[in-house]
Amino acid sequence: MFCSQSANPATRRYLRRFMVTMIFYAIFIVVSVSTFVHFRPTGIGAWVLAILPALGIIAQMGTFALYLREEKDEFIRNLQIQSMLWAIGATLSVTTIWGFLQGFLHVRPMDPIWVYPMYCILFGVCHGLVCMRYK
Amino acid sequence: MKNRLRVLRAERNWSQADLALRLEVSRQSVNAVETGKFDPSLPLAFKLARLFETTIESIFSDEVE
Repeated sequence: MFCSQSANPATRRYLRRFMVTMIFYAIFIVVSVSTFVHFRPTGIGAWVLAILPALGIIAQMGTFALYLREEKDEFIRNLQIQSMLWAIGATLSVTTIWGFLQGFLHVRPMDPIWVYPMYCILFGVCHGLVCMRYK
Repeated sequence: MKNRLRVLRAERNWSQADLALRLEVSRQSVNAVETGKFDPSLPLAFKLARLFETTIESIFSDEVE
């Protein structure tokens, strides 16, 4: 994720926080799925449980924002921001194209739950390409 | 932007990694600035000038490489 550089303190803090948010995400997923399967909750409780796993993902985005604030190396920060902008553009392009394909050709609808994983994959691809520019 | 970083480094016998350590940035940052692929911010340019005991204008020129 960070080209080939050794991790600086900001990167290490980001990776640590990232792992924590992923652990919470996994716990929330297990709690939500098992509760829905075994207890079939309704009302506000169901809403809270359904949203719970998303909080892990939102927290993960927050840790990246925090990382960008803490990263003191302006070149590395620039690489991350460029990669993020390219990945956002690519994600919006794919989802927009998919939307039109859905509308005109009735292709299978895309579940919005896949948008964030798609962004993460595209971020990785874009980061590799952005890093190559500076080799 | 053109710069004289490579020359200034060579005069002091510093590697890119040595300069990066003194600037508290990554070696990739030094390489990107030195090769003109990345223009440093004003604070980093001042840091470089102070480190090499010279002025920003004597390190960087606005000619395009």
